Amino acid sequence: MLILIPLISCILIAFSIGSNDTSNAFGISVGAGIITFRKAVYLLGVLVFIGAVLQGRNVMRTVGKELVALNIEILSLSLFVSAFVIIIANWKKLPVSSHQAIIGSLVGSGFAFGSVVRVDTLLKIVESWIVSPISALLLAVVVYKLMEIVFRRLPVFKVESILRMLLILNGIIIAYNTGANELATALGPIVCYGILTPLQAAIIGTTMLWLGAFLLSERVVETVGKGITSLDAFSGFAAQFAAGISVLIFTTLGMPVSTTYCIIGGIIGVGMLKGVGTIKSSLLRRIMISWVVTPLLTFGTCCAIAKIVLSPYV
Amino acid sequence: MFFGSRREEEVIRLVKEHLNTVLQACERFKVGIENDDAESLKKVCELEKIGDALRRDIASKLYEGAFIPAVRVNLYRFSEVVDEILDTLEDCAIEYMNLPVKLDEDVKSYCITIAEVNLKMSMDLILAFESLEKKADLKDATLKIRTREEIIDKVKHDLCRFLMQKDVEGFWVGKIVSDFIVSLGSVSDLIEDAGDIIQILNVSMR
Repeated sequence: MLILIPLISCILIAFSIGSNDTSNAFGISVGAGIITFRKAVYLLGVLVFIGAVLQGRNVMRTVGKELVALNIEILSLSLFVSAFVIIIANWKKLPVSSHQAIIGSLVGSGFAFGSVVRVDTLLKIVESWIVSPISALLLAVVVYKLMEIVFRRLPVFKVESILRMLLILNGIIIAYNTGANELATALGPIVCYGILTPLQAAIIGTTMLWLGAFLLSERVVETVGKGITSLDAFSGFAAQFAAGISVLIFTTLGMPVSTTYCIIGGIIGVGMLKGVGTIKSSLLRRIMISWVVTPLLTFGTCCAIAKIVLSPYV
Repeated sequence: MFFGSRREEEVIRLVKEHLNTVLQACERFKVGIENDDAESLKKVCELEKIGDALRRDIASKLYEGAFIPAVRVNLYRFSEVVDEILDTLEDCAIEYMNLPVKLDEDVKSYCITIAEVNLKMSMDLILAFESLEKKADLKDATLKIRTREEIIDKVKHDLCRFLMQKDVEGFWVGKIVSDFIVSLGSVSDLIEDAGDIIQILNVSMR
């Protein structure tokens, strides 16, 4: 019976990732009319599954095996709190990273139940949260400069047609990362605990993510896509591409990093090239606060629930 | 088919056809006022209708999702301005046909000069669009458009000064002649505007 709590929580997290993060992959392409929303969602489903099966194990191992010695209480509490925080944050439109919520909950639960928390792995993860947006920032600067040099020599309609293809390529990379990193972070604990095999987890996770994307993401995708592309497709591409490559590298290293934060890093990189004034400092501040608060909040919540509510029963 | 390149090619083909329609309309208008040829002037009105249909086709292809928004917006504005050139040429043709008096030969000669330069500008506009498409030297074509527009401005001012010395048979005669000259003079402004949009298109992906 107890395994139902982490299982349902994982399903809810996967659904939530689908409803919110589809925009990261295909927002610009849908907004630009390069691909229809329906095609984007089907493509997302296929790529998320491929990502989860081919490379998901790296991140699953880090989150589920190398961070905290799991037991069913830690698993249930951490995934329940993560799912709760992620759903509330999505509902209230707060910029919360699912990775940070899950890692914070796992460490908080492990700490509260007196389990072994591997500090070296935790430090590596936190380090990757800092380094990944910075690497996306630097990569975005390089990509933007390269595009300027290459595209300057080409006719405008050729540039446009290349850019359309590159935007789809971007979507493919980010959709793949969603499966290999984002979904893998949510599935890691239940796979490593042995509730599901990696393949079963990939199938169930992808299905739920796809359902979330299909049922709830259309408005988010259109808002993000049209919002970004109406500003500048060229910069949008550079930022997204840099983020996609950056997340792909960290996925290979088995580190659970946020695509959204990497995209923000990329946008800041392009913004710096265009002049610091183009970066919205208030938005940046809000994201930085969320970056610090989310893992601390889930850590604190798990500790509090474990110590105050659950300790008499465990 | 994810990339829809056929849609983009179709829009470019339609834009070129639109520009050729402007060229034909300028040619017909020039012939029409040179020879007082009503058939040529009527043809200008027919070409305006063809232009309207082309603009609608371009708009619908763009609405279906041809090009990314950064290019789409400017291409639609371009087709609107090109259509305005045709609208203005139609106004010129109708106003010329409706003139209650025969134009003074000197005034007519000024008008033919303007029509000739308009024709050359419409050729330059086609060249500018082709340069945009092939990454040839766009500056050359747009500079020619601007220079010719300045020539027309000068001719227009000379014509106005000349007209001020003339007697007018009555208010309505004066008004219709004046409307005709204003319309004729604004064709070059619109061609220059279209040339400017081509330049904006050129930098829109930079």
